[in-house]
Amino acid sequence: MERQYWIRSKPVYTSLLWHEKATAHLVIAEGDGGMAVLKLLQQKYPTQQVNGFFVKSPNALKNYADIISSLAPAEFKVFGNTTEALNSLKITLADCCMGTCFYVAGSEGFIWQVAKVLASVGVQDDDIDKELCGTLARTVYCVHCKAITHDAHHSVVACSGCQRQLFIRDHFSRRLGAYMGLMVDAEQPGILPSIEEVYP
Amino acid sequence: MSHLNVKVAAIEQVTEHVKHFTFISENGEKLPAFSGGSHVVLALNINGRIHRNPYSLMSSPLNTEHYGVSVRKQEMSRGGSVFMHEQIKVGSRIQITYPVNLFSISKLSHKNILIAGGIGITPFLSQIVDLNRMDTEYELHYAYRSPEHGAFRQQIEDMCGERSHFYVASDGQILDFYALLSKQPLGTHVYVCGPEPMVNAMIAAARDLGWPEKHIHNEQFTAPQAGESFKVKLALSNIELEVPSEMSMLEAIEEAGVDAPYLCRGGACGRCELDVVSCDGSIVHHDNYLTNAEKTGGKKIMPCVSRAKCQQIVVNL
Ligand code: FES
Repeated sequence: MERQYWIRSKPVYTSLLWHEKATAHLVIAEGDGGMAVLKLLQQKYPTQQVNGFFVKSPNALKNYADIISSLAPAEFKVFGNTTEALNSLKITLADCCMGTCFYVAGSEGFIWQVAKVLASVGVQDDDIDKELCGTLARTVYCVHCKAITHDAHHSVVACSGCQRQLFIRDHFSRRLGAYMGLMVDAEQPGILPSIEEVYP
Repeated sequence: MSHLNVKVAAIEQVTEHVKHFTFISENGEKLPAFSGGSHVVLALNINGRIHRNPYSLMSSPLNTEHYGVSVRKQEMSRGGSVFMHEQIKVGSRIQITYPVNLFSISKLSHKNILIAGGIGITPFLSQIVDLNRMDTEYELHYAYRSPEHGAFRQQIEDMCGERSHFYVASDGQILDFYALLSKQPLGTHVYVCGPEPMVNAMIAAARDLGWPEKHIHNEQFTAPQAGESFKVKLALSNIELEVPSEMSMLEAIEEAGVDAPYLCRGGACGRCELDVVSCDGSIVHHDNYLTNAEKTGGKKIMPCVSRAKCQQIVVNL
């Protein structure tokens, strides 16, 4: 891990808080992101319209979908997978105006999949509040073969494309929604540093 | 900063208070390329003292044979605009900086709303050329006092057609920011240039409606104001100087031969920021750059527009 200096491309995640000044609100969450939605629902509920999208995940700690559905004053659409949710989101976005505030919660991979859809309609990264939930698992792109490897939990991961052992850096590509992975044993093949579980 | 030497090729009286100046380079060559929304800083020798005033380039970025700027005569100001109106003639030579753009169209925008008040129309004239060329969706909303004050209206109608909207205050036409900003599609960016109350009202409306900061752009250049004279000590260069009441602190520093950094000269960009080592009085902040906390902290000053009420202020320069 690179702790000595701050990598600017590394995304910042916060706790979700309703924006008081808004014309509408759009909440998009997945799996353990349900906890962030529940925390939102504990806050003073906005007077403006709220649209909710929730994707169930078998890996989540709890079945948040049911709790959210029973608690949310407005309808939360529940989906079985991310693709369906994003398709439905795209339809809703066509009717949204400037002043709509965006709240996204879930795994890092999910957050950036949503961000990509939002970017396609001109919503910028800085316009979106994001809360990372459940896991720190990273998506990694291999700088050598460009393949994407999902759910990396350790400091070194085998590339899904070229099988090289990649060291995961903090450099993050918003376009790919993934961290940079660099061959770790380029100088002395087969000699690997100690591998730790740093992204549980 | 490196400079360009230009010569005034033409002057046109646009409205009662606005004159348009056309500059060509002294050596007859093309001037440097620029993008819509850029400005240049003119060095004006007024009674032996160099005043530096920023003006938006309003000529087409597609034609750099010449640059065009428009100047509104501000009777209450320190004299830069009056000097331009009364002393600058066809053939006058002026030194200007290379164009700098602090007010460019966002590359991430899907739609752009340009809002101008009075002479604040100038940066948009060059931006419109870029927008037309890039085929980006935009609207221009231009508000002014009365029909005689509607500088460049015909030119704007020719360039923008239906995308231009005019609001003439004397005819009771009011630009309602809330109505304008509440129904815009996602990905819209808004740009405002005009008098301070208008700029502030627009920004307040956009924030109130939940527009994110990255989508709100303004070019709020404040002109440096006159004030009491005060003494400045430059700690690093070990120079002491006096800022006369008619000069900005930045101009006084430049006159002392010290090359201080700047870009906008209007308290907007942050480039000229100086650390204050000590001040035996108070700082009078006029900029739109420092946060309120920084302003009360008294450890920073933007010398392009701000002054001090003191015997001596010591800065790290
Ligand atoms: S030069 Fe831009 S703030 Fe002073």
